[in-house]
Amino acid sequence: MKHSVKLRKPLLKQLKADNLKGRIIQSQPIWVRIFHWGFAISLVVIISTGLQLHKPAHFLALNFSKVLVAHIVFSWFALGFLVLRFTDALIRKDDSLIPKIRDLKHFPKLMAYYFFLRSSPPPARKYNSGQLLIYFSWFLVFLLASFLGLASYWQGEHLIWVWHLVGGFQMIRWIKFIISIYFLATIPVHIYLSLTEDISRLQAMVTGYERKPPMKNESKNFPRIK
Amino acid sequence: MLSRRDFLKLVVKGAVLGNFSQLITPPLAKAVAAGEVHKLPVVMIETGTCTGDSISLDNIWTPTFSDILTNILDWRYDWIMNQVQGQEAYGILQETYEKMPHEYILIVQGSMIQRDNGHYNHVGYENGKLITGIELVRRIGLKAKYVVAIGSCATYGGPVSGYPNPTQSTGVQNILPERRVINVSGCPAHPDWIVGTLLHLALYGEPELEKFGRPKLFYGETVHNRCPRRRFYDQGIFATAIGQKECLFRIGCKGPVTYSDCPIRRWNDRYNWPIGCNTPCIGCTEPGYPDLMSPFTSHFPDIPFPGGTKVNTDSFGLGVLGLTSVAITGHVVTSLYKGRIQKNLLKTSAKTNHRPALKKAQAFHKYWLKKTNKI
Ligand code: HEM
Ligand code: SF4
Ligand code: SF4
Repeated sequence: MKHSVKLRKPLLKQLKADNLKGRIIQSQPIWVRIFHWGFAISLVVIISTGLQLHKPAHFLALNFSKVLVAHIVFSWFALGFLVLRFTDALIRKDDSLIPKIRDLKHFPKLMAYYFFLRSSPPPARKYNSGQLLIYFSWFLVFLLASFLGLASYWQGEHLIWVWHLVGGFQMIRWIKFIISIYFLATIPVHIYLSLTEDISRLQAMVTGYERKPPMKNESKNFPRIK
Repeated sequence: MLSRRDFLKLVVKGAVLGNFSQLITPPLAKAVAAGEVHKLPVVMIETGTCTGDSISLDNIWTPTFSDILTNILDWRYDWIMNQVQGQEAYGILQETYEKMPHEYILIVQGSMIQRDNGHYNHVGYENGKLITGIELVRRIGLKAKYVVAIGSCATYGGPVSGYPNPTQSTGVQNILPERRVINVSGCPAHPDWIVGTLLHLALYGEPELEKFGRPKLFYGETVHNRCPRRRFYDQGIFATAIGQKECLFRIGCKGPVTYSDCPIRRWNDRYNWPIGCNTPCIGCTEPGYPDLMSPFTSHFPDIPFPGGTKVNTDSFGLGVLGLTSVAITGHVVTSLYKGRIQKNLLKTSAKTNHRPALKKAQAFHKYWLKKTNKI
């Protein structure tokens, strides 16, 4: 049976806060979240249409010109989301996605953790070194693939030096295929780790807020909401 | 004289009707009679080649072509067509080189064999010394008015430079960086492409070249863009085996990456062409042929690994994805076994310090909060 006891709001808040574990902080600003989900959806479309362009599944009998249009349109979307994220990072002076030496120094320990040789991951800035490397490589190879895509889209009218550099059309496509494989191999790792390591970070990617352990020498009675 | 514009029109018309040399001959004969054409001396050096391009050129060997040879071009040195042999023939080459510098066209057929200073390919004999292909091509090429490479080997290395390229072969442009080489690629080059390029050189000078040094008038468009089966491709209707009538993309057609006018010009007196007889285009006009284009029935080249094994690109992709799934599955199982996933989930998802849980009290219908350990 439900007892309805009317408590005054401030008191209720106080009670809840008292019982809350850790602090709740904002970790993912709105533009980061928009970028993340926009980019993720675009990438899924880009890669699946790319694979269809690579080897048409004949049970699908999709209209091929439309597949190509979807591929290119979503590439532009993805690029747009990337620009959003980049601008946001510039405005907030956010360097959380740029790997630094001190991040890399933690990498061996992180690997030790993933291989069950340590019980806890090493300290990290916003993202741990493994994630950082994956994210950063994604931006690089995404830009590379888009650039090569543009070169193949222009069919050798522009960006001719790219053709010379990589050795022709066939190589352009081949590199893009390998990049797609790289995405396909690393995205599941990313999803797996974000589901099993710290689920509150996944929550943060939706709501923006994340739960952190309480700060030392700070009363846990006063959760910080930044 | 025939204007350049009319000439270009004839190139297309000749492709469609399949009688390029017949079309071109009357206006040329007129121009020759009027003394408007300056006969261009031509010498051809064959290096690492199967002579396939000469054979291909023979396909245009209609009576009208002999007019072209005698009236427009002065075909001076060519192993296949020479009437003399030995020193007598070689003397003609030397004479052309000495007496007509910057006047003659050098045609090169065959790849540049570079291993051991080119000594796997001798093409001449001078003063008791064997002359290598690269040496002769460089010497004659530096003084030529135009350098034309015909066939895949001379243009980009071709089959001779195929993996693992034991002779270190390459295209003419790479050993003659000082000169702009006009590339008439193809395995073999189509007779119209060769003769058309030579005629353009004789009548109007250097044709407009595309990104890999090929004349735009023959190599300006991909096979795919003019393919009669393009509508099948656009609708996603694909052949699943050689011999079927639909688009051959799924079985490795290289039309989308190959620049040439085969779909309209076709082969063997316009009789047919690969896609017309239901086999995929193998991309013979592109740099990197045949390594980048084979296996001919598969979309991408195999990946060579050290030690001589080659792995199909698709299998490589599947292998990588397979490894990833195995790794993730293994990690999930180990994490579950070690309790890491459970711990992490509890640690990062529990809302409160004291999770309320009910504990059955002794008395009937009476519950109170159970004290749990802090997690
Ligand atoms: C992350 C970015 C991208 C990835 C992973 C990607 C992946 C792929 C893949 C796997 C293919 C099939 C290649 C084949 O097997 O033939 C493909 C084809 C293609 N892509 Fe992309 N792509 C990306 C971005 C772009 C962009 C930005 C454009 C254009 C502006 C583009 C234009 C094309 C075109 C025109 C094709 C047709 C096939 C060809 O290259 O001939 N792509 N892409
Ligand atoms: S058969 Fe080849 S060239 Fe023709 S439409 Fe299909 S892929 Fe393109
Ligand atoms: S159809 Fe393709 S393989 Fe055949 S000659 Fe033309 S470019 Fe070469």
